[in-house]
Amino acid sequence: MKLPAAPRVPRREDLGSPLHSPAVAARVGVWLGACFGIAFLTGLVSHFAQTTPGWLTFPTRPVSLYRVTQGLHVLSGTAAIPLLLVKLWTVYPRFFLRPGPRLRQVVVHALERASVGILVAAAIFELASGLLNSTQWYPWHFGFRRTHYAVGWLAIGALVLHISVKLPVIRTALGLPISADVGDGGAEPPNQPAASGSPEPSETSEQPEPVGISRRSLVRTALAASAVAVVATAGATVPLLRRVSVFGVRSGQGPQGVPINKSALAAHVTDLARHPGYRLTVVNGSRTASLSLDELNAMRQYEYALPISCVEGWSASGMWGGVRIKDLLTLVGAPSDSNLKVVSLQPAGAFAVTHLPSQFTRDDLTLLALRLAGQTLDIDHGYPCRLIAPDRPGVLQTKWVERLEVVA
Amino acid sequence: MRRTRVLLAMAGVVLIAVGARKLLDIGSANTVATGRWLIGGVVLHDFVLTPVVLVAGALLVRAAAPWLRRPLIVGSVVLGTVTVVAIPMLGKYGARRDNPTLLDRNYVAGWFVLAAVVTVAVAVAALGARYRDGKRAGAGAARSGPDSAEEESAMGGRAARGPQPS
Repeated sequence: MKLPAAPRVPRREDLGSPLHSPAVAARVGVWLGACFGIAFLTGLVSHFAQTTPGWLTFPTRPVSLYRVTQGLHVLSGTAAIPLLLVKLWTVYPRFFLRPGPRLRQVVVHALERASVGILVAAAIFELASGLLNSTQWYPWHFGFRRTHYAVGWLAIGALVLHISVKLPVIRTALGLPISADVGDGGAEPPNQPAASGSPEPSETSEQPEPVGISRRSLVRTALAASAVAVVATAGATVPLLRRVSVFGVRSGQGPQGVPINKSALAAHVTDLARHPGYRLTVVNGSRTASLSLDELNAMRQYEYALPISCVEGWSASGMWGGVRIKDLLTLVGAPSDSNLKVVSLQPAGAFAVTHLPSQFTRDDLTLLALRLAGQTLDIDHGYPCRLIAPDRPGVLQTKWVERLEVVA
Repeated sequence: MRRTRVLLAMAGVVLIAVGARKLLDIGSANTVATGRWLIGGVVLHDFVLTPVVLVAGALLVRAAAPWLRRPLIVGSVVLGTVTVVAIPMLGKYGARRDNPTLLDRNYVAGWFVLAAVVTVAVAVAALGARYRDGKRAGAGAARSGPDSAEEESAMGGRAARGPQPS
């Protein structure tokens, strides 16, 4: 690899390593594109799970569907980080590419630059903001959920546009052995058909300095790094990997064997939740039922194993015990497939009030949980009672519930 | 292919427009804060991280003996990129005193374990390469140019195989 000798802006030719090749970029790009595709689709699932539009009914089965899709979302993003770093390193010399003298060339060059600029900016933004969010680190002033969602569209759009621009180069590069030379002439087809079509392709036309690693090794190294990143973090959602995931954001431990996302202290709810005069209110129009904790415990109890699957990508399964939501509805004469407003004791916060669609309300597995792992619910898990429904994002499994309200 | 490319390009532009619209809809203050991070990420990567990696890589390749180069590069790429992933965990910036279940590992110790595993793998692969080089030199098999056999063994030479009877 050559380094610029004098302090001037480097030119394309300065970075002459044969590793800076479309042969590498295309191969790493396929994996990177797959990661972004998975992250985008699972991101849509999560978006719809949280802000269910009218035309969509989010399913309640399989109970771990959201656990899987959101785990995939975070893991595909994590896997993409080493791939993106290697990919950008590979194409870095193109940063110094200059357009030809003609106006058309300048315009095409500028357009391609703009599309690549959006792609790189959006890709780095999505991976960085997603990674930081998985550790609940928010050193920024934008709203994470909506912004991460919007920029996700930017990223996937710029990626599709990029594939369109690069399709001839990608096809040529993938159709040839990895050691073959491929022109990286951008929008134009490769301009060295003779070189790329030769029966015994050389590493490069002008032999650069030895680099110590082959193109194939570089691609495999990128994939290995990606795999290591996944294994090192996946323990937060895959119990089997907990011991080897040295960078997992959750070890899986917590009160009653389940980690927590927001403590009672952080929700400013401790005194309210521990108040001896606590009563749950169930409202259906003018009919109201008010139940003490003892009265809730006297109702018919059920116990189910359901996961808590957080949008941050961690998840854990617990054995939840309590009363069925639909049993509570019968107390106020409401049909079991009612839509519900679930109100928490927490005085503020985006998820202090949540909406429970009818497919969850009528589900046998949807509980107002009073116990976890056979014990009275820990205050950080939502004592005196919390909502637990199958296949729901954790933020919507409202804790410290004080009121259930039937909505039309 | 031309048709496919045109369709892809149009789809891409539409998706970008959807994203831009969704972003602008959140509000102007949010857009400014987002723009700062969008540009900041590119600047940090293109003008800080990549030049550092290019220089460090060039120095590494020149300083290392030929039999050490490939294992060293592979090990550095793996450890380096995974370390970038681990920055938020290593710093525990999101940790909260009221929630001991979040970021509840000793990540620095975890990093040293990973670094040790990578170092051992690099050492094994490098010794293997040196052993093979030595055998080849002993057998008098003079070779020049890129080593195609090495190219084939690629990652395998890094960790799993070690010295192999050829």
